[in-house]
Amino acid sequence: MKIFSASGKIFVLIIILGLVGLMGYAIFGNRVNVKTSPLIGKQAPDFTLRTFDGQELNLSDLKGKTILLNFWASWCMPCRQEAGALESSWQRYKDKDVVFVGVNVWDENSNAQRYMSQFGGGYPHGLDPNEEIQIDYGVGGVPETFFIDSSGNVRDKFTGPLTEQIIDYFVLKTQQPQENES
Amino acid sequence: MNNYSIKISILSTLFIVLILTGLQSMSLADEGKTIDDQTKEISYLLMCPVCQGQSVGESNSNLAHDMRDIVRKQLEQGKSKEEILAYFVNSYGESILASPPPKGINWLLWLLPGVGIITGGIIITLFLFKAQRDDKNEDSQEIKTQPKMDNEYLNRIEEELKDNDS
Repeated sequence: MKIFSASGKIFVLIIILGLVGLMGYAIFGNRVNVKTSPLIGKQAPDFTLRTFDGQELNLSDLKGKTILLNFWASWCMPCRQEAGALESSWQRYKDKDVVFVGVNVWDENSNAQRYMSQFGGGYPHGLDPNEEIQIDYGVGGVPETFFIDSSGNVRDKFTGPLTEQIIDYFVLKTQQPQENES
Repeated sequence: MNNYSIKISILSTLFIVLILTGLQSMSLADEGKTIDDQTKEISYLLMCPVCQGQSVGESNSNLAHDMRDIVRKQLEQGKSKEEILAYFVNSYGESILASPPPKGINWLLWLLPGVGIITGGIIITLFLFKAQRDDKNEDSQEIKTQPKMDNEYLNRIEEELKDNDS
């Protein structure tokens, strides 16, 4: 008994070729232009941060400066790992219109304070008690770091522990004029 | 009523029942929803970014809890479901959505299952019709050849009987 006629066979062949094509696209498709965050190239969401020393820090007040915005938690081992690099980089950049800001998330205030005294460094850190800043920036884990240019646009996002070399690379890149991203 | 008419009646009834069920659920969907109901509904449309395969509605994580609060706040501010989902997509990307939005190559994800089911249904139907038709042809051929064979057999018996008699 013949199940498929000649045209039926062609139809089945087209379906199989289509499925193979889709698999090929999924495996070998262009991944170069995939962004690490949908915020890249857009205006950074504004926020007001209550810092650990009781000050209020508005992101909009920092316009004109390059900003490194780092999300961290006291229980996060990679955050401890990158703390030294952040501090030494901040020492090098603090007089060059580069501002470092730390945002503590998913944490107990007492643990965060203890971490601050040990790893905090000299730049401002604050709490995000309602996790609104974190959600505005689409943070899904710690540490995550955003690089914001002097116009207030998010230029890059880095997930994972930073080193001085990584910080230098992104800070210098953020200080360059923005290329038109299509 | 022959088999064909029975099949058509069953398929038509199923089709009408499916359409009526769809229409009923659509009309119920928009009626009398509280902020709680809407928060719950939207929460199930969002994936929890720090959980494995759980929606914001299902997760007990702090982040999911805060995301539900943000959904509620935005609903209270009068924002629509689409605006709230767009806010989360703007922060986290489309991966935050529990189902991919039907646009671009995503259309394939929505269409392929339906196309697969319809194509599979057509192939099975064609296969069954063809099998049925072939069975009928074989039966009719058997009926046509049966008298001829019977006659040959009877003639042979008669001839053998005659030979025995003589």
